[in-house]
Amino acid sequence: MTMLVAIKGGKEGLRLHLDEAAVWSDVLGALRSQLNQGAQFFNGARVIVDVGNRSLSEEQLAELMALMREHHLEASALASTSRESRSAARAVGVVARPVTRSALAPEAPGDALFIWRTVRSGQVVRHHGHITIVGDVNAGAEVVAGGSVVVWGRVRGTVHAGALGDRTAIICAVELRPTQLRIADLIARAPDGAASGHPEVAYIDGDQIAVELWERYRRSNRSDP
Amino acid sequence: MSRVITITSGKGGVGKTTATANLGAALAMQGLKVAVVDADIGLRNLDVVMGLENRIVYDLVDVVEGRCRLRQALIKDKHFPDLCLLPAAQTRDKDAVTADDMIALSNQLRAEFDYVLIDSPAGIEAGFRNAIAGADEVLIVTTPEVASVRDADRVIGLVEAFEKGHPRLIINRLKPRMVSRGEMMSIDDVLQILAIDLIGVVPDDEQIVTSTNRGEVAVLDRSSRAGRAFVEIARRLAGEDVPITVFDDAPGLLNRIFGVFGIRARGSER
Repeated sequence: MTMLVAIKGGKEGLRLHLDEAAVWSDVLGALRSQLNQGAQFFNGARVIVDVGNRSLSEEQLAELMALMREHHLEASALASTSRESRSAARAVGVVARPVTRSALAPEAPGDALFIWRTVRSGQVVRHHGHITIVGDVNAGAEVVAGGSVVVWGRVRGTVHAGALGDRTAIICAVELRPTQLRIADLIARAPDGAASGHPEVAYIDGDQIAVELWERYRRSNRSDP
Repeated sequence: MSRVITITSGKGGVGKTTATANLGAALAMQGLKVAVVDADIGLRNLDVVMGLENRIVYDLVDVVEGRCRLRQALIKDKHFPDLCLLPAAQTRDKDAVTADDMIALSNQLRAEFDYVLIDSPAGIEAGFRNAIAGADEVLIVTTPEVASVRDADRVIGLVEAFEKGHPRLIINRLKPRMVSRGEMMSIDDVLQILAIDLIGVVPDDEQIVTSTNRGEVAVLDRSSRAGRAFVEIARRLAGEDVPITVFDDAPGLLNRIFGVFGIRARGSER
């Protein structure tokens, strides 16, 4: 399945990639459902909209802006190789720039949320990037991240990584005993029985969430840092 | 410097009212002037537990609405002249007072007493918020049960959000023999989840049921294990460094004494 819409954290902050080849109404539809999933997730976040080489008319762009505003998402700039798209952007008052796309954008250092406390029952931590927590995530608490979630402590509550659809997101914790784990669109219930007592990581393997000892995961993913 | 302390729990029926009455009496035994306030408006209980129900003329809502002076609503305890009760209204509900009323009331009581203990209603709604509005400190009561600990966790989060400092924990109705058989959460299990300072452990004690029903607080009875635990908590509250004793429910066995520092939750937060 090719993703029509992807939201990624990059060097310059959040970047909304819209497929350049697909039918425009399909792209808008995909974006709408994506945004509906992450309801009030963005809270006025500013994103760079990247439409690749698609030529957008002013009306199409206005449609896009309206949809984004509905979900409290603000376009800080429009990136496109198409001259037509860029002039449409200027016409509706959005900064336009040619696409500068590095093969794999390095992660922005400022795109993670750092929390140093116990996240207690009834508390919710939401962030569009990665989340790092030094402390426990207690049962009844919820952590929702656009990226990965790292907990230097025990996870007993519910954690959702890659909430914007990023299937490469992982969840790792010193002790992983969650009520429920979610990565992208997949959900896993905690296995019954005792925790391993060692740091573990959850990631998507094929079409399900796998949980593995951190040591083993690290050995089998040697190319990663 | 007088202190206003709210006793709360989230879950109902874990022993807030009993704890308030006993701590109030235990502090009064130390010669301190204490007021206990029933903030559970519409479901008043503290007067019953203290055996003062038949002396109520005015209540908290009467004070807030100006129908009487604070002095007139305060009821002197049967045993301790320095212990006073401000009862809740039974015919009204939570909406009869606001957080500002409770702050004003707390400050009025502060002027006359060394300790003001506020018995909070269960839950996390307006009644609970009113009860902690005027507090300097908060004590959380939990039993060693999963549901109770879960609710305590929720309430601790709220108390911290209202910037009431770090609440301290009373573990109530512990059955040491069940713990040693692995059938009940241990003190460590509870502290591991809640990660706050422990101020005392009260053993499960059948006697407290009968004393509560008679309207006599357990601290009056020197043979009561729960009563002794409350006396210890009161001393700790007053700043004494008393090691935490877990009074065992098996007669003849030595009580296990934990070093205070041994089982205090690490100050890992902030």
